[in-house]
Amino acid sequence: MFNPLSKVISEQIKYWNLIIRMSRFEVKGSYQQHYLGTLWQFIYPSIQILIYWIVFGIGIRGGQPIGEIPYIVWLLMGLIPWFFISPSMIQGSNSIHQKVSLVSKMNFPVSVLPTIKIVSNSIQFFVLFAILILLLLMNGIPVSIYWFQLIYYFICMIALVFAFSIFSSTISTLVRDYQTLLSASMRMLLYLSPILWNPEGEMVPEILGNLLKLNPLYYIIDGFRSSFLSVGWFYEDITYTLYFWLFTFILLYFGAKLHIRFRENFVDYL
Amino acid sequence: MNNSKVLVKNVSKLFPTQSKQSDKLLEFFSIRKKGAPRKVFSAVSDVSFEANEGETIGILGLNGSGKSTLSNLLAQVIQPTKGSIEVNGTPSLIAISAGLNNNLSGMDNIKLKCMMHGLSSEKIDEVRPDIIEFAELGDYINQPVKNYSSGMRSRLGFAISVHTDPDILIIDEALSVGDTTFANKCLEKMQEFKEQGKTIFFVSHSASQMKSFCDRVIWMHYGRVKEIGETEDVIKNYTTFTKEVNKLSAEEKSQLKNTEQRNQFVEPPGELYNEKVNGATKTEKVINLLLFIPLILLGILIGTGY
Repeated sequence: MFNPLSKVISEQIKYWNLIIRMSRFEVKGSYQQHYLGTLWQFIYPSIQILIYWIVFGIGIRGGQPIGEIPYIVWLLMGLIPWFFISPSMIQGSNSIHQKVSLVSKMNFPVSVLPTIKIVSNSIQFFVLFAILILLLLMNGIPVSIYWFQLIYYFICMIALVFAFSIFSSTISTLVRDYQTLLSASMRMLLYLSPILWNPEGEMVPEILGNLLKLNPLYYIIDGFRSSFLSVGWFYEDITYTLYFWLFTFILLYFGAKLHIRFRENFVDYL
Repeated sequence: MNNSKVLVKNVSKLFPTQSKQSDKLLEFFSIRKKGAPRKVFSAVSDVSFEANEGETIGILGLNGSGKSTLSNLLAQVIQPTKGSIEVNGTPSLIAISAGLNNNLSGMDNIKLKCMMHGLSSEKIDEVRPDIIEFAELGDYINQPVKNYSSGMRSRLGFAISVHTDPDILIIDEALSVGDTTFANKCLEKMQEFKEQGKTIFFVSHSASQMKSFCDRVIWMHYGRVKEIGETEDVIKNYTTFTKEVNKLSAEEKSQLKNTEQRNQFVEPPGELYNEKVNGATKTEKVINLLLFIPLILLGILIGTGY
């Protein structure tokens, strides 16, 4: 029963080299027509950060910090993982539909297509992440042992995005409506995650804050932030950690099953 | 025979004829609507043959006779509904729509396609000059592919495919776009492959190209093999047949076509897709459901603030 799962994962390992090489082309090809080229990978996020900061930081919060942390710093700690998660999930889900006509003319491991999108997006993430760390140091946020935890949350993030992409890329190929629904949902999910506002704030009813935690993205974004701010270790909240990993596992388990079940007939679906 | 490269046994490919998008999905989850079962279109029915090492086989037929479906089956792009295809080696399909990325330059396309065929970086650097020379693109190689003419595109596609070192080559009317000079060059290259003991399938309408080059010919006629045998015999029969068809009036022609095509619509044979698609056992279903119980429990704990 775990056959599909191990098959999908072993394909990722076997074709890792191919994934890396194809991701490079992905990055190169996507901004080929632009004069500013890959610079757009940083211009677009900067504009978004500016808008969110003006609207939420200055407009709504009136420049008030969250706890003792300036709002812009607090915002960036959530927004930068989000800049990776959201496009990776949307593009990863679309990847098979987009490429299947191309790769079907050859024996190509279709299951690596979502991974290629994830890897090519992660380059942007690493650069933005480095800028973020620089900004944190400039703002006097103390470096602590908790920062090692960032690696753990990075693994969580990759695991969830991968599981989700494998799962949705199959559905998205079979039912095109799904992709449209997904893009719309991701936009709303931004507001339901602790990115722009703090669900643990005093004005928010506790039950609402708890319900929002059911969204596994909450775990990742909150985790990144609490590592940066040295709040605690991930194993201190074992229930939530278990919930997150079980959620990811189920997504991956059914995603792999669906993928293996339908992949030979993807071409019939175009 | 020991050196048989491709063994095709009673292969059929059926396509469901859906009128609506939603039917397609239901078909996949093998949920059938009540009422009379819909007919399915049999693009290839009950085809069997064998191809040996170093043999070149032509596939001949009118439009819509299942040539392209058969070549897709041979390239293992699509799976047969019934029967089996045994292929010893890696097949490579060359079709007109060669799957080039329009935004990338010819050079990048070479790299990307070779990479996708599983070639290592060193190997790509090694074959790249050969590909460029073979495709006769000259300085255009650094231009984006969208600026290419259709001939240039098919030349590039062909050049890449022949340099990825396939064991079995399937050429689906790819040569009909290039001019005669290029076609001859390709035929020479294929001759070279033939001498190396590679199996080639050659799909075309052009009887003359086939005559000079194929060992055997399969004549496909509305999904079935009408004749298979020595090149000269089959081509002779085929040309007599096409001449006869051409003599018919337009009305008779379409009538003939309609009756033949109607025969290709058959009753669905139970499962349209392979049985492993529907193969979840009962215990597996129970385990699948059981997975959700801890998730829901943990979810309730978190939701209520435990």
